[in-house]
Amino acid sequence: MKHIKTIETRNLCKSAKNGGCGECQTSCQSACKTSCGIANQECENKESK
Amino acid sequence: MIHQYKLGGYNIVLDICSGAVHVVDDVAYDIIADFENKDKAEIISSLCEKYKDEDDITKEDIAECYKQVVSLKESGKLFTPDSFRPMAGELKRKTSGVIKALCLHVAHSCNLNCAYCFAAQGKYQGERALMSFETGKRALDFLIENSGSRRNLEVDFFGGEPLMNWDVVKKLVEYARSIEKEKGKNFRFTLTTNGVNIDDDVIEFSNREMSNVVLSLDGRKEVHDRYRVDYSGKGSWDLIVPKFQKFVKERGNKNYYMRGTFTHANPDFLEDIKQMLSLGFTELSMEPVVCASGAPSVLTEEDKEVVLSQYEKLAELMLEKDKEGKSFTFYHYMIDLKGGPCIYKRISGCGSGTEYMAVTPWGDLYPCHQFVGDEKFRLGDIWHGVSNIGIQDEFAACNVYAREDCHDCWAKLYCSGGCAANAYHSTGSVTGVYKYGCDLFRKRMECAIMVAVARELGE
Repeated sequence: MKHIKTIETRNLCKSAKNGGCGECQTSCQSACKTSCGIANQECENKESK
Repeated sequence: MIHQYKLGGYNIVLDICSGAVHVVDDVAYDIIADFENKDKAEIISSLCEKYKDEDDITKEDIAECYKQVVSLKESGKLFTPDSFRPMAGELKRKTSGVIKALCLHVAHSCNLNCAYCFAAQGKYQGERALMSFETGKRALDFLIENSGSRRNLEVDFFGGEPLMNWDVVKKLVEYARSIEKEKGKNFRFTLTTNGVNIDDDVIEFSNREMSNVVLSLDGRKEVHDRYRVDYSGKGSWDLIVPKFQKFVKERGNKNYYMRGTFTHANPDFLEDIKQMLSLGFTELSMEPVVCASGAPSVLTEEDKEVVLSQYEKLAELMLEKDKEGKSFTFYHYMIDLKGGPCIYKRISGCGSGTEYMAVTPWGDLYPCHQFVGDEKFRLGDIWHGVSNIGIQDEFAACNVYAREDCHDCWAKLYCSGGCAANAYHSTGSVTGVYKYGCDLFRKRMECAIMVAVARELGE
């Protein structure tokens, strides 16, 4: 019996190796302007994912 | 670090440091909760007791489930240790001196007189002022000069109300377009407007040139008109809604957000979301008000419970609308589990004061729009660059590991330590924590992940 379903996600530990290009959008620029959160941002580095 | 919660009929387990998301049954949920505090025999025996009346849950079954948890731990998808602290500040060091976004305050003036405005009716505690073309042009040149090898540059036309200086906005866009190719840059413009001055020219130009438009609408007419009034006290809802509808209709597939603010007067903001949907808008953002403590609009502790429950109901509504084929977007529930930000971004904070700055109508630089008007945060100006190195260093040192209160928070890699302005206004320090906002943020993330899980599983 399968008790656990794992959803496919980006591996954050691996992203430490090839991330950090800094091309992504500034966090609160696009819509909120009054709070911060990076979860809803896209990664602009298509090669690092 | 693990965070587990039950929402929308799902048992969800987040392995914070790997980013893994698991949907589990009750047995796995209980095993994971006890895994680090009890040994295997103790866990199995206590669960055998707990589930003794359930025929389909046997001791073998529980032992098998325990094995699955161990296997996930071994493969780095559960109980992953936090090894990221040494990387804190690394992204900012790597990109040190690179500015990639400016918030251009083209108008410190507004044609509405909203009592809850964090910008003090657009004037930021100062005099009314409009940015000249020369100042705006210099700001764009300053951005290019300081953007290093970064190609995509973001510029937000902000205020006050930017449409009160529309001709300058258009000229600045035209100037940027005229030089971006030779400079190897790509400008992405955003316009944030209250809608009052929208006309066909604004719609046509913006829908061609602005990557994104942010349209301020608080939802229900009575809610919107409580605060968003002109200088005679007249509500603006009737005037702006048809303009926004036309704007969005003609925008096609380009990005926009209807951006509302909820306050003590409408913690039941889901009704405002529904109103926006009924007006035909599908890209939505509702933000908790930012104002001084003691203001009539400020959200109270009692409001918080209402707001948290509204976030859950909003998640349910999104899934219902999916089933009807009428999906909509809520800004804070956008989450790309497969391709979201890398760990550097997740721990480095919003970039205010380093890669993002606000420019006043007269060319002064501030760490972000929310610090404009507070003289001690003035960084410098667009002619001479940053001169207040002490303040910039404070912002450069802002990251999730610089905030003591974030250490044990499961949401830290989703929020990156929160908003420096909110922190400063609630604690007096940019590395403080705005705890009320944290409570709302954690609930939003739980809901966002639940919606993503439900969509992924196709249920």
